[in-house]
Amino acid sequence: MAIVQETIDTVAELERYKYGFTTDVEQEFAPKGLNPDIIRFISEKKGEPEWMLEWRLAAYERWLAMEEPTWAAVKYDSVDYQDLYYYAAPVKKEGPKSLDEVDPELLAVYEKLGIPLKEQEVLAGVQGAPKVAVDAVFDSVSVVTTFKEELAKAGVIFMPISEALREYPDLVRQYLGTVVPVSDNYFAALNSAVFSDGSFVYIPPGVRCPMELSTYFRINASQTGQFERTLIIADKGSYVSYLEGCTAPMRDENQLHAAVVEIIALDDAEVKYSTVQNWYPGDAEGKGGIYNFVTKRADCRGDRSKVSWTQVETGSAVTWKYPSCILKGEESSGEFYSIAITNGHQQADTGTKMLHLGKNSRSRIIAKTVSAGKSDSTYRGLVSIHPKATGVRNFTQCDSLLIGKECGAHTIPYIEVRNGSAQLEHEATTTRLSEAQLFYAQQRGLSEEEAVALLVNGFVRDVLQELPMEFAVEAQKLVAISLEGSVG
Amino acid sequence: MKALARLDLTDAATFPSRRVEEWKYSDLKRFLREAPEPSGTAVVGAPGPFYDLGGDAVVFANGRPVGVKDYIASGDQTLRLRFISDAVGTGHTAAARIVARPGARLLLLETHEGKGSAYVAHNKVEIDVAADAEVIRIVLTDEPADAISVAEAEVRLEAGGRYRQTIVATGAKLQRHETRLRHGAEGADARVDGLYLLNGARHSDQTSVIDHVSPNGTTSQLIKGVVRDEARGVFQGKILVQKGADETDARMGHHGLIASDRGEIDVKPELIIYADEVQCAHGATVGTLDESALFYMQQRGVSADEARALLTHAFLIEVVDRIEHEGAREVVREWLTARL
Repeated sequence: MAIVQETIDTVAELERYKYGFTTDVEQEFAPKGLNPDIIRFISEKKGEPEWMLEWRLAAYERWLAMEEPTWAAVKYDSVDYQDLYYYAAPVKKEGPKSLDEVDPELLAVYEKLGIPLKEQEVLAGVQGAPKVAVDAVFDSVSVVTTFKEELAKAGVIFMPISEALREYPDLVRQYLGTVVPVSDNYFAALNSAVFSDGSFVYIPPGVRCPMELSTYFRINASQTGQFERTLIIADKGSYVSYLEGCTAPMRDENQLHAAVVEIIALDDAEVKYSTVQNWYPGDAEGKGGIYNFVTKRADCRGDRSKVSWTQVETGSAVTWKYPSCILKGEESSGEFYSIAITNGHQQADTGTKMLHLGKNSRSRIIAKTVSAGKSDSTYRGLVSIHPKATGVRNFTQCDSLLIGKECGAHTIPYIEVRNGSAQLEHEATTTRLSEAQLFYAQQRGLSEEEAVALLVNGFVRDVLQELPMEFAVEAQKLVAISLEGSVG
Repeated sequence: MKALARLDLTDAATFPSRRVEEWKYSDLKRFLREAPEPSGTAVVGAPGPFYDLGGDAVVFANGRPVGVKDYIASGDQTLRLRFISDAVGTGHTAAARIVARPGARLLLLETHEGKGSAYVAHNKVEIDVAADAEVIRIVLTDEPADAISVAEAEVRLEAGGRYRQTIVATGAKLQRHETRLRHGAEGADARVDGLYLLNGARHSDQTSVIDHVSPNGTTSQLIKGVVRDEARGVFQGKILVQKGADETDARMGHHGLIASDRGEIDVKPELIIYADEVQCAHGATVGTLDESALFYMQQRGVSADEARALLTHAFLIEVVDRIEHEGAREVVREWLTARL
């Protein structure tokens, strides 16, 4: 009954969105709007090499020529791209060398968010708990990255991408934009032009990363967009587990978050990427909240490489996100586990693409969608099998759960098979919460909300199991919080 | 997404390309850049595959009605609806309207019979199923490999109406059967099945949009298909459950076999749901013939080709078995067996 108790406690103690505070740190902004000068400003601010600036400007040119996509099943007021700050950073007092020099205001933010930034206080008070290295990105810049030395001993590079551009320019240049090309889509092009920070990870051949790596994104300033870029390279035979979390203050404006994540897995490498997305979803009337338009893609270049995406999507006003795998290597494998929960006026159009190019490549998709309130949630996915990819296997399962009369849940899968030896199964269901199960739980003394939380936790269990421990507990709580107020 | 103008063979601007989402897998524009010259007259020849089942006939020859083009059924009736094409490189459009009056039972036997080559046929039928009426629609196609053929059906179901559809497609250069069905009143019941058996470079697209706007509707859909050689099978099924269409029960299944190295199957089964008291599910599989079953049969003296034909038959016949009308079922069974 521990889970039940936890659910009850969670529901009782937490308000709707506990990360909705703002922090008063001294910040510097680039002028509003987007033009080549802003891009030059960002590039200069980061001390980037010349080629990077050219790369950005080229991306900007491409972006200007592109149209904002409208095919997703989401409706939102269009973004005025000239009315945003593209760069906002806490004012630095001579770049902090260690944690002690970081602005205490900032540290307080992360403490409040429950993010362990002090290396000795990893998972406070738990003896022998696994270590997690954290890169904390605050608006447009990375404020601190922990455990860098310990990671360096293993040969692992984990640092803000802006730093990597200075310290390992060749490595970045070799891989940046090779998975998500500059002109891939509207938001990826925008990101390529203006991204200001994000994480860079390189795991050398044969190395099993000694700890979980984590990035924590925080939007703080108003009227800013956050455009971070993450690049993960897992060299031959390496392994890394990467966690990503995000929150933002409650504001009645819509803020744009347009990130790009690129993963490259070489022969026998494995990357596990987990996200708990908890951006501010807007208030009960649907005012405010984050527009979360991100492009995440993994390139399983190497034979027997493996990438696994796990996501828990509970936040954001509008989500547009399809973490995908290009399965080029022979016997490469891609996995996608997703929980998407929408409530209030939230809209989510999310799913995955599995592009099978390599022989005997395999993929597995488990997507659980829960819609409540007046929200709308869509699973959109593609499984495509190339003519030369023999022996491919895919299994897809999409289940949707509807809570209430005014929400919608949609499933739009695309299946394209061009090779006769492929075996592919897809199943999807849409149902509402079972009255009988609710009644049973309530009869045994649970309130309606507790019963709903319990049943939903059961519904999404297959995916929760795929999350690393640290996230599983948090995710489970999130499930309960996100559905608060959805019944009755 | 751009709104799709209704296809009109006389206006090339209405020819959709694959950039139009609903035509993603059937790029009409690629094969048809300009409006085709109108077809001349055609002679109605052989009596058609359903002749032995009797009943009335509505016949179109190269788009022109031979006699009446509308049909109203009351009581228990059989109608053979024949779209006959006999043209070379020209195009024609036919439009029929079928009404089943309250309580009527209509067996609608539709055939798309083609001769000649490289013609473009566009056949439309509107079907109104009144309260408590029943329509069983069976569609057989037999068209040249270089023809382009687009068939559209608009079906409206009233309260308690029953509709049963089985499309048996053998493809063409581009062949599309589009069914738009609306559960317009409470308690309607639809079965929207199809099968495709494609050789050579044939293409068959079965697209359906089933719109539940009223409560207590039921939809059941089973599509099965086999592609050989370089053929391409397409199934796009959309089930919409609108707000208020409570107690909807909708099930969709697609199962395809690729029996060659270069065959292709594209499937897009969509569920769009805005009501919560519903049960909806879809399943889709694509695979190939079971090697171990083939091996087993060959071991017992069945030739490889025969074993393949037997397994294919067993796979597809499930769709035929769901046809409620015995006489029609037997015609389809024989027709299919002859093509394996």
